[in-house]
Amino acid sequence: MSDVNAIEVHELIKDFKGPFRGHSVRAVDQVSLQVKAGEVYGLIGPNGSGKSTTMKAVLGLIRPSSGSCSIFGRDALKVDSRNDVGFLPENPYFYKHLTAAETVRFYGKLCGMRGQALRQRIDEMLELVGLGEARNRPLRGFSKGMLQRIGLAQALVHDPRLVVLDEPTAGVDPTGSREIRDLILNLKSRGITVFLCSHLLEQVQEICDRVGIMKSGTLVKEGRLEDLISLRDRTELILEHAPEDLLTQIRNLVEVTHGAHLLSEAHPRTTLEDLYLDETRDHSKSAHS
Amino acid sequence: MSSFPKTSFFSPSRVSIIAASTVTQLVRMKVFLFLAPVALLFVALNFFELPIYQGPDTLVPEQQLRTHKNLCLGTMMFFTSLFAIVSVALIIPSDVEDRTLYTILCKPVPRLDYLAGKLLGVILVLLMAMLVMDFLLVVTLHHRTTSISTDFGRYLSDLGFQEAEVARGQAELAKHGPTWILQYGVIAHFFKACILAAVALLISTFSTSTLFTIAAGVMVWIIGAFQSIARDGLFVDSFAGETPSLADKILSTIISLIFPDFQLFESIADASVRAQEILGDDILKLGGLTLIYLAIYTVLSWFVFADKEF
Repeated sequence: MSDVNAIEVHELIKDFKGPFRGHSVRAVDQVSLQVKAGEVYGLIGPNGSGKSTTMKAVLGLIRPSSGSCSIFGRDALKVDSRNDVGFLPENPYFYKHLTAAETVRFYGKLCGMRGQALRQRIDEMLELVGLGEARNRPLRGFSKGMLQRIGLAQALVHDPRLVVLDEPTAGVDPTGSREIRDLILNLKSRGITVFLCSHLLEQVQEICDRVGIMKSGTLVKEGRLEDLISLRDRTELILEHAPEDLLTQIRNLVEVTHGAHLLSEAHPRTTLEDLYLDETRDHSKSAHS
Repeated sequence: MSSFPKTSFFSPSRVSIIAASTVTQLVRMKVFLFLAPVALLFVALNFFELPIYQGPDTLVPEQQLRTHKNLCLGTMMFFTSLFAIVSVALIIPSDVEDRTLYTILCKPVPRLDYLAGKLLGVILVLLMAMLVMDFLLVVTLHHRTTSISTDFGRYLSDLGFQEAEVARGQAELAKHGPTWILQYGVIAHFFKACILAAVALLISTFSTSTLFTIAAGVMVWIIGAFQSIARDGLFVDSFAGETPSLADKILSTIISLIFPDFQLFESIADASVRAQEILGDDILKLGGLTLIYLAIYTVLSWFVFADKEF
């Protein structure tokens, strides 16, 4: 079983017919990708590149025009394959008349969970996503970040082996976004496969093992993140407390070495996100409750 | 790690989970507020009296009770039929638009279970509404019957009838009150509303608009109410002694399959208002016919919904 890929997409083609004129639009063109069990795979690309269509084909929400999708070796169009999948859609909506606990219970029951096991799991999921105190609040009063979190809770309630996330941090504030990122890393450490689409490239860079880039319906680049973003012909050195004479020696050495060029020299920077989190950490924890 | 048995094609358990969620949704949407005007109407009818026409063939007390029953049953029929169409038209498209449907279908939930669960949930709410309205009907009709019976008894006594004859007259009048026969009429209207809910389910699987679903559902309701009259008028010229041709019969059968024929349901309801004898077998047949319609429309809905893409 460990040799079976979590997701196998084989030469997927999806055409959508136009309403009146009848000519079709090819949304996905000969896309093939594999997501290994236990890895975090990011599918990125501009709007309209076919990411969501590919995701929906993997989830069995749409039928491929040609090609196939499978989840842990099972045809994605079969209902059975969804036993192992948890899905968080983009901008998730759930039944607003239900409370947080009722929502997780509803989806847990749909997955065949019952009784004490389900009750325990509901408590675990709500604590995991930080909604323990809001368990009895109707979803109509939830903020976007809270809806994302309840979405994660329902996606994980049945302990799936694969979690599919469509823009998991879209519209979420940086603190919530960092918490979702940490949650994804937690899932990865537990051996759960994560397949996500996101426009936030920095986050994708932080958490994904492998990345696929789509453009105009085709997969234009795919591979391990480190391999894709490494600039093999450049080297970065970061020195701390380096005296000026050492820096001068390094500059001179580069100058006399044939073929080598010193491209830039500057103080490394932190990121705006890290700075924001450092400054707002204590304030945001009380606001989130 | 999860491990689940093979997902069955159809699961009553899953259907009941979705049905329960639908009931909760409709109840929390406060749909039962529509019962308030119904209740007011039933109470108001207690004060409605026909102008009294004196004549040897006029039975005014029975007419008053028949009018009361007609109006109440008609109100129940109208509200439950409209509610059946509107509630299905609202809840399924909203699941699609809100993408709540994505998260449900991404669980191991066959689409047939989803449709059957939604339909069952609406039918359960219809049943609850019907029970409340039936209770109101029985209470107001009992009150009205008692009041009219008392006046009738006094009237007969004033005319010089003996006690036994007065009692007989009142007993005849009581047959037009809240009896079990009237319940058959309520059941017939409930069955009709269930079929309309199934029709709305089918329409909502291919409709892109709630308004269209409601309009089309109402149209099917109207066609169903009059189609047997229309069929008789179009295909049979009884004045000329003609019988319908084979082509006419086939066309007539196709129409009655596409649009449910509510004539039988209306006949039962009319008979219950007139306090005519209704056999239990007729109600069972009606129930069987309802189940057949529900099954056909649900399966047709599934055929359309199975390949729908989101």
